[in-house]
Amino acid sequence: MKKRPADVIFSVYCWLVYAFLLTPIFIVVLASLNAGNFLTFPPQGLSFRWYVVFFENEVFRRAIVTSLWVATVATLISGCIGTAAAIYHVRYAGRAKEAVRLTMLAPLLLPEVLTAIALLFFVYSIGIGTRGMVGMVVGHVLLTLPFVFMNVSASLESFDPDWDLAARSLGAGRLMRFRRIMLPMIKPGVIGGCMFAFIISFDAFTISFLLKSVGTSTLPIQLFDYLRTNFTPEAAAVSSFSVALTLVVVIFTEKVLGLKIRRF
Amino acid sequence: MPVLRRANSPMLLFLPALLVLAVFLLVPYLNILVMSFRTPGQGIPYAPGWTFGNYTKFFSDWFFIGQMANTLWIGFATTLACLLIGYPVALQLARGSDRLRGLRYGIVLTPLLVGVVIRSYGWTILLGNNGVINRTLIGWGLIDGPLPLMYNGLGIIIALTHVLLPFMILPVMGAIQGIDPALGLAARSLGAGRSTVFRRVTLPLSLPGVQAGCILVFVLSVSAYVTPALIGGLRVKTVAVSVVDALIDTFQWPFGSAMALILSVVGGLCVLAFARATRMKWAAAR
Repeated sequence: MKKRPADVIFSVYCWLVYAFLLTPIFIVVLASLNAGNFLTFPPQGLSFRWYVVFFENEVFRRAIVTSLWVATVATLISGCIGTAAAIYHVRYAGRAKEAVRLTMLAPLLLPEVLTAIALLFFVYSIGIGTRGMVGMVVGHVLLTLPFVFMNVSASLESFDPDWDLAARSLGAGRLMRFRRIMLPMIKPGVIGGCMFAFIISFDAFTISFLLKSVGTSTLPIQLFDYLRTNFTPEAAAVSSFSVALTLVVVIFTEKVLGLKIRRF
Repeated sequence: MPVLRRANSPMLLFLPALLVLAVFLLVPYLNILVMSFRTPGQGIPYAPGWTFGNYTKFFSDWFFIGQMANTLWIGFATTLACLLIGYPVALQLARGSDRLRGLRYGIVLTPLLVGVVIRSYGWTILLGNNGVINRTLIGWGLIDGPLPLMYNGLGIIIALTHVLLPFMILPVMGAIQGIDPALGLAARSLGAGRSTVFRRVTLPLSLPGVQAGCILVFVLSVSAYVTPALIGGLRVKTVAVSVVDALIDTFQWPFGSAMALILSVVGGLCVLAFARATRMKWAAAR
């Protein structure tokens, strides 16, 4: 197909947007490779010294483990209850469909700051306070639930009840119908939704910031604290590392699990 | 999922999520509602007794009303910017099929893969008075002094647009992908040009995605805390930043609660008005 001028303009426009999306991240990675003591541009020579400093820093290592742990638990919980709710929403909710959807999206429609504060007051009033990580995990479940729900619901949107009827008339049992009709349809939604949920949880700042207890700082909190007092490129090295880590998770999901999230 | 075997109780599917939302969202919000009517205390979060004072304090002070207007303005501007910047990209991603598509999809997701603190940090390096952009422009002799890119509304809008673009692009892309390609082909075979197909088929059918994206971006930008806190600095404060200041720094639990509730009610009303207006208009467009 021949390229028309309109296509070229369109394509250039899109690539400019991609450049816009990448610039702040690119600049952080570049800053992390700075050999100097401060964030200066252009960098004073390239080196990996700030990565060495970061890997020797116990505080950041612990924060990474905390973040991974919280994100995993929150994603597992949201994945299960969000998927079930999405199936209910599309298949069984009937007239209550819109109400169910609004209920499930509530954590997203309510400001994260407010949810965090509400949860903070709540854990104090029931007496557990911010000890342990219960409050934080609950907060992350609330935060990630709508994303699982939306993804699974979207993958079921074209579900036709007639398929179920047809399968039933052909003698398929309930379990068989679930496995052969429902499961293939929701699978990309579930995995895509969980991936999204994991990333949202790993990124979450406000809720973790207000609900953290002593010694359970997640990576974003640790970084925020660090940035308030330090201006060395170590923060950039930490940031770059966390970007790389997430990238590995995504590539693993896409390539090894062979998942095509976008084709649902 | 053995639950599915019980034909008469599909409600069980919804129950766990409903319980979580009721106990950990509804009850805490009622709690915060109660808190907003408590009497402010000296040195303690709240004193005994009840009052409307926290609400009247907000609405009788032009400082807070201006802050609310500023917050909403930032939300509208960010939403519009995300829509204009994001729609073409969503279209390209949904329809394109070349080998670079995976890469481009990955690029769109990058802001989501990178924590909000890291992204704001990147913008600080770029937009600051001593930042990359100002240094470069001064270096080239284009400007004499640094442009005010940070510590103002513009900086917050730029950073929020970057942060929230994926929330616009993904729903729009999903909606466009959900359109049967045969519809476009049918229209073409009936003699419609490419722009007509876009205007009459693709655009109207993608509007549910646009609506979802706009609501997401607006809500997330109005309630954003980290980006305005880091980019806005001390000079420009959004309501969300003031709320956290009131609660964490000065321990004004009742007033902070009232302020937070006012923010969410105003934001919710905007979303409702938008949803109602767009539903009517878009129904007519089809």
